[in-house]
Amino acid sequence: MADVSRFEELVLPHLDAAYNLARWLARDPHDAEDVVQDACIRALKYVGSLHGTNPRAWFLAIVRNAFYDWLGRNRPAEIVDVDDDTIEATVDQAAVDPQQSAIRSAELRTLSDAMAALPLQFREVLVLRELEDLSYKEIARVADIPVGTVMSRLARARELLRRSPLLRAIGGQFAGSER
Amino acid sequence: MNCAEATTLLSAYADGETGGLQRYSIRRHLRACRAFASRHEELVAQRGQIRAEAQRYSAPPELRARVLATLDAVRASGASRAPARPTNDRWRWLTGGALAGCAATVLAWVVGTAVLDWRAGENLALEAVTSHVRATVGDRLIQVASSDQHTVKPWLSARLDYSPPVRDLANEGFALIGARLDALEQRPVATLVYRYRKHTIDVFVRPEPTPSPSSPLRPVRGFNVARATGSGMNWLAVSDVEPDTLSEFVQRLARPESSP
Repeated sequence: MADVSRFEELVLPHLDAAYNLARWLARDPHDAEDVVQDACIRALKYVGSLHGTNPRAWFLAIVRNAFYDWLGRNRPAEIVDVDDDTIEATVDQAAVDPQQSAIRSAELRTLSDAMAALPLQFREVLVLRELEDLSYKEIARVADIPVGTVMSRLARARELLRRSPLLRAIGGQFAGSER
Repeated sequence: MNCAEATTLLSAYADGETGGLQRYSIRRHLRACRAFASRHEELVAQRGQIRAEAQRYSAPPELRARVLATLDAVRASGASRAPARPTNDRWRWLTGGALAGCAATVLAWVVGTAVLDWRAGENLALEAVTSHVRATVGDRLIQVASSDQHTVKPWLSARLDYSPPVRDLANEGFALIGARLDALEQRPVATLVYRYRKHTIDVFVRPEPTPSPSSPLRPVRGFNVARATGSGMNWLAVSDVEPDTLSEFVQRLARPESSP
C-alpha cells in the first residue's frame, strides 16, 4: 500500500514522458499503452528500491525494458542486432502510417514522420535527448549503452535525419537550404 | 584539431557534452572553417526544429484512468488480496504480479523511506517540487488564467501581503499562462505559471527576508529546481525543462526591468 503513495509521488508525474517514449518506440498508440501499463506494474513493484536517482530516467529505463520485452513477444523480426556502422541510411517506409500517407500528400510529410522512420536504436537516443531532455549519462543508463555509444548514435541519428528523403520531399529542411 | 576530428565531435558539442579542451578546439575550428561553421548552423537549426515541431505524445486519459484505477484497487485491497474488478483481463493479470511485489516491499518501504523523507522534508526545494507535482497532477495548476500581467498581478496582490513583479516573456519563449496561490514553509506564496515549449514551469515568488546567496540549481525527483534573488524577491523555479534553460529563465525574471 505504501508503494502506491510512493508511486503516485515519484512515478505518476512522469506518465506523459513514459507514454511519449513508448509511443515513439512502438510507433502505435495501442501498443504504446500496453507497454506503459506493463511498465507501471514493474515500477509499482520496484519503486520501493528507488533512492537517489532521477525518477524520470529510472521510469523511462523501465519503459524501455518493457518495450523490448513486448517487441520480443510481438514483433521479434524487428529486433535486429547489428553493428551501428552497418546500418544504412535507409528509411523504414513501414513507419509511415499508410492511412495517413494516403490522406496527406507528399509535401505534407512532417519532421515527426522522418523521425519515426529512423532505425530503432537511433530513434530512441534522439527522443531521449531532444524530447525528454536527458543528459548523455542518463541516456546511457536508460538505453543500457556506454556514453561513447550515446554520442556516436546521436550524431548518426542527426545525420540520418538530415539526409532523410521524407524531409527532402518538403524541400530539404536542413540539407537543401543552399540549393 | 582537423576538420574530420571536429566533425565527429560536433553533435556532442551542440549538446554541451564535450570537455573543456575539446570545446576550445572546436570553437577555434568553427572560426577557421566555413564549411564546418555552416554544418554547425544546420545542426543548431535541426535541433531547434525537432524541439519545436516533433510530436510530444501525452498519455491518453483512458490509460491514466486505468493506472489510477489499479492504484486504487491495490490500495483498497491492501497488499494481500486481489484488486476489485479490474478493467480487463490482461490488466488483472499484471496487477496480480504487482500485488505480490507490493507485499514484499511494503516493510522495506516503511522502514527505509519514511526516515529519508522526513529528513528531506526540511528541504525547500523538495517542498516546491511537491507543490509543483500536486498542482500538475491535479487540476489546480492555474487559478487565474491569463497572459496579461495586469490581470495576474492584481489578482495575486489582493490575496497576499506583498505584490510580486509579474512579467510575460512570451517573446523569449516563456509564455505566462496564469498564476495560483500555493504554500511554501506554511506561508502563502505567489506562484506564476509559464509554458515553455510543451513544458510547464512553476515560479514561486516571495519577498526576500534576507539577501540569501542564490543557490545552484539541483535536480529533485526528476525535476529541476533553480533559484535567484532580485527585484526584492526570492525566485524559485521548478520544471522538467533543461537545467541551464531554467536557470537562465529564473535569473532573467529576477533581474529588474530596465525600462520603466
